[in-house]
Amino acid sequence: MNPPPDDAPPAPAVELSGIWKRFPGVVANAGAHLKVRTGTVHAVLGENGAGKSTLMNVLSGVYRPDEGEVRIDGVVHHFRSPSDALAAGVGMVHQEFRLVPSFTVAENVVLGAAERIVRRPAVESAVAELAERFGLATEPDRPVWQLSMGERQRVEILKALWRDARILILDEPTAVLTPGEADELGRILRHMADDDRTVVFISHKLHEVTGFCDEATVLRGGETVAASLPVSETDSSALAGLMVGSSPVISERPPPVVAGGPKLEVVGLGCLDDRGLQALHGVDLTVRAGEIVGIAGVAGNGQRELAQAIAGLRPTTGGTVHMDGMDLTAATPRQRFGAGLGYIPEDRMGVGLAPRLSVTDNAILRTYSTHRRGPFLDHEAAVAHCRDLVERFAVRTGPLDQPIAGLSGGNLQRLLVGRELSGRPGVVLAAQPTRGLDVQGVKAIQDLLVAERGAGVAILLISEDLDELLTLTDRLLVMHGGRVVAEFDPELAGRHEIGEAMVGHPPVGAASA
Amino acid sequence: MRWPVLARRDQVLRGGQPLAFGVGLVVALAVGVFLLLGSGHDPLRVYARMFDASLGDPRAWSVTLNRAVPLGLAGLAVAVAGSMGLWNIGAEGQIMAGAMGAAWVARIGGGWPGPVLVTAMLAAAVVGGGLLALGPAIARARIGVNEIITTLMLNEVAIRLVQWLVHGRWKDPGSHNFPLAPMLPDNGRLPTLFERAHLGVVLAGIVIALFGLAVSRTAWGYELRVAGSSGATARYAGISLKRKILTVMVLSGGVAGFAGGVELSGNADRITEGLSNGFGFAGIIVAALALMRPSGVAAVALLFGAVQIGGQSIQTMGVSSSVSTILQALILFGAIAAGVLGRYRIQMVAGDTVETPSTGVES
Amino acid sequence: MRRSLFGLLAVVLGLSLVAASCGSDDDSSTKAAFIYVGPVGDAGWTYAHDQGRLAAAAETGVETAFVETVPEGTADFGNYARDFIEQGFNLIIGTSFGYMDDMEALAEEFPDVVFDHVSGYKANGTNFGNTFGRMYEPRYLSGMVAGSATSSDLIGYVAAFPIPEVIRGINAFTLGVREVNPDAQVEVVWTSTWFDPVVEGDSAQAMLDKGADVIAMHQDSTAAGEKAEAAGARWVAYNSDMSAHAPAAHLTAPVWNWGPRYTEIIGQATDGTYEGGYYWGSMADGVVDLAPIAADVDAAVKAAVAERKQQIIDGSFHPFQGPINAQDGSVYVAAGDVLDDGTMLSMDVFVEGVIGSLG
Repeated sequence: MNPPPDDAPPAPAVELSGIWKRFPGVVANAGAHLKVRTGTVHAVLGENGAGKSTLMNVLSGVYRPDEGEVRIDGVVHHFRSPSDALAAGVGMVHQEFRLVPSFTVAENVVLGAAERIVRRPAVESAVAELAERFGLATEPDRPVWQLSMGERQRVEILKALWRDARILILDEPTAVLTPGEADELGRILRHMADDDRTVVFISHKLHEVTGFCDEATVLRGGETVAASLPVSETDSSALAGLMVGSSPVISERPPPVVAGGPKLEVVGLGCLDDRGLQALHGVDLTVRAGEIVGIAGVAGNGQRELAQAIAGLRPTTGGTVHMDGMDLTAATPRQRFGAGLGYIPEDRMGVGLAPRLSVTDNAILRTYSTHRRGPFLDHEAAVAHCRDLVERFAVRTGPLDQPIAGLSGGNLQRLLVGRELSGRPGVVLAAQPTRGLDVQGVKAIQDLLVAERGAGVAILLISEDLDELLTLTDRLLVMHGGRVVAEFDPELAGRHEIGEAMVGHPPVGAASA
Repeated sequence: MRWPVLARRDQVLRGGQPLAFGVGLVVALAVGVFLLLGSGHDPLRVYARMFDASLGDPRAWSVTLNRAVPLGLAGLAVAVAGSMGLWNIGAEGQIMAGAMGAAWVARIGGGWPGPVLVTAMLAAAVVGGGLLALGPAIARARIGVNEIITTLMLNEVAIRLVQWLVHGRWKDPGSHNFPLAPMLPDNGRLPTLFERAHLGVVLAGIVIALFGLAVSRTAWGYELRVAGSSGATARYAGISLKRKILTVMVLSGGVAGFAGGVELSGNADRITEGLSNGFGFAGIIVAALALMRPSGVAAVALLFGAVQIGGQSIQTMGVSSSVSTILQALILFGAIAAGVLGRYRIQMVAGDTVETPSTGVES
Repeated sequence: MRRSLFGLLAVVLGLSLVAASCGSDDDSSTKAAFIYVGPVGDAGWTYAHDQGRLAAAAETGVETAFVETVPEGTADFGNYARDFIEQGFNLIIGTSFGYMDDMEALAEEFPDVVFDHVSGYKANGTNFGNTFGRMYEPRYLSGMVAGSATSSDLIGYVAAFPIPEVIRGINAFTLGVREVNPDAQVEVVWTSTWFDPVVEGDSAQAMLDKGADVIAMHQDSTAAGEKAEAAGARWVAYNSDMSAHAPAAHLTAPVWNWGPRYTEIIGQATDGTYEGGYYWGSMADGVVDLAPIAADVDAAVKAAVAERKQQIIDGSFHPFQGPINAQDGSVYVAAGDVLDDGTMLSMDVFVEGVIGSLG
């Protein structure tokens, strides 16, 4: 044989071949393969359940494949743990953050990788330096529980960088980011790639892939259906076709409905955030029957607190909330539900759903007090209610008495939304209802909201997905600094104007608080 | 190379738990053989004695059941709080508080008919245990003070309180200045069921069954489980966490107090500071082994009781208390391992070492 | 099985059993079981009992067994005792106060088994008796050694609980101290523990910090001695000769010597003469004694102690003979009087020279 020529292309940074990974009842990877060139940003695309996260967990040493081979820079590795993978230069930024809330940013970054004795000032300045080098704005001495999702993600990225990861895996990193933050992340990732680091970027937001990735690999049903497509030679709709296996689904703007009288009226609402600082400064808004009012804004500008205050989960410091003319300002969450407020919370698992309980137990979360026989729960009625939800809202689930933790994100959300809508609410408060869902999941949830609107329900939709807001809403409010700073007609508004309002520069003369 | 690893079962195998338990027990006993040989004992004789003394005949059963009563009730107390995600580490002190309540009633009720006195004693025991848990409950519910710390600290308070009473106000005038409370009146003792077993066995069984039913089948228990799964979800569902924490902690204390009353009335001659005997702490292990499910507490307590009684008995054949304690720990450890095995299956995979069990299938 | 076998035996051998001496067909059939509250390795109370067991076993040749670390106030004692009885043991010796009620009830349930209880106050006149020792005798002697050794005239006494046994020891010790050093005072710290090295060590340290230069104690750990050793102070130990634990500090110790008494009980159980009465053994009986006095103690002190010891043994001196004033200065024992056993056994007054309260 000939010796390899000197100018042979270098081994790819990552090469996964024939990866199989089975879980009880599920084949997550069925011979998937992936090849990533050094110094590129490589997108891994696929719907929820396509096997992306499993494949990345194999690459980062969390899972061990049943079959298949992992090569890093051409060398075969058998990772026994994430720390093995890290030793080989592979670092992962997980979708759910793995941070210690009571520790500071710097402490979290160095946790497990620090000297035995942590000298805080030194560590904090080292972390600050690292953050600055990659343009990751953060405050090293802040405790993590005070941070927004976007800030927490930066801490996760810093953790990987601190450990000298040359290959960085980001699992749906933009799911928790605002459009602006997502663009910023794109710049950071490009910067890293130019620094000869390799980024594996998991997403199903096609414009991000086309925006700042070099190549894309598409997974479907645990298999690789397209490998290392140069992004410059493809487009969103082709990628979407590969992902779903049919033509891409695009939500259409619902036909206009004549809005009725005011259903939800919020006047001068104020509340504090988790840190005890004023999060809302007198928010006024009205949602009328048969309209969807959208709230746009950069994460951390009070949207989360607004939703919680309206839902009754956060004490208010001023102002009123009325529904159908009834004062609900001091009502409990249960009274609000009873008065016709359906609430789809931002945190599905852990707020809207109880992770350790069964599908049935979660289905009756809002109505259990009606499924009773004396002090006992009427089990049959509960199961019947659950079965009804599962069928009407097409929730794909295993046995109803098993914990819901096994359901996929899309099915969890269908169950949750279905449960809220089954109470025939007059007002639906939906916070980030489609975040992290796959294309079909997004469509299903959006269709449900639109149908409710058609039935005369007043919907307040808080979202960080501007496309979603522009498509679905009848009126679009922009929040900044805990205030509603602008209102737009989504059919007429320009993205640029909305973006300016989101960063605190509302157009002159725009409706505002 | 292919290696066995643990993979989580999608459903707990029916009948798998006893099988896994058997395996765990055999492994533990096999390890124990070396321990016993090493300390110069005949393992077969020791194991035979352990079995005979704990489960060998009705008398052995009666002793084991009596021991399972405080273990089961303390385990239930921990599990009731645990099903809501609260840690009651104070069962030890609540047992004492319960015993104090019962002893106080026995002091004033010497002339009452037996059933009345015993019932009143047990009721006072529940109140006593509940009262001791009330402080931590309020502190946790109102201002979020960690109940682990407060309940733990109150253990010492309760034991010192018994000490104080026994050395002072409750000192028996006939005790020649020895720090002893008076003996219980005969009408304050639980009737005997068979051999050594007292009525507390039945009472504990009923209480455990009631709580098992309440947690798994009632709306109240449902709220408890929601809150235990996620406090935020509970608030979302309109469940008042504060009130829930309050009732659950007080109930948990009441159950532990009940254990103290039963132990006093069933097993002890008078209240002493030794009465709680570590049952409250053993209850934490019982509850953990029962996976915080009240319904599982009875079986675990029976196993625990049998291991303790058997383990104590072999000391009368010359096995030292430390070897006996290690042996007891081994068997319980075997049971824990069995509990884990029952929820996982062994799977052969390629690779060179065993991976830690994974928990999710999110793609 | 066993039960019905016994039933059969009872029917067949009923007559001969009536005639035979108490439940034995062979003199060597006594089997003695000891139930201890602490570990035999505690160097203190339980260690001393186990030494007694070994001595008695060697003396009498009977089979003995023991269980250790058996808590008081629980069902454990009864479980162990029954286990032993089922295995044919017919003498049960329990060495902790808290076993008393259990032993009383068991004695009634098993009339053919002898129960001897160390440190309580109950007996039934047949098969349940009480054993204790006049520890106040060597306590007095150890006080003389301590009183000679102190130069700060403050002695710390780290004590368990204000119960008659402990109070008696403190008083006897103080009287011994004041015989040789009338200016010295004994300050009592209660630990509410019998075996907790941390608490007992801390309490000793507190007294050392207060200026005490001799520490006496009434618990079962050696922690107080270790603190005294570290501080360069002196120590009067208890239970057994603990000089190995604090060689420089150790002055002496009032010690238990259970061998003679246990030999006696086994003998009585074997020949059927056990009476279930009260036994309060003295230095004359050899049940209590004073450990060897440290080599650096003045020979004159040793001689004075030896003389007192002889007087106590021959009955010409009693530690609680008047005149003795109580802590508040009132007369506790008038001149010429000697406290009777009943008063000593329920003692609840401190004598003059003791600092501290009984609560």
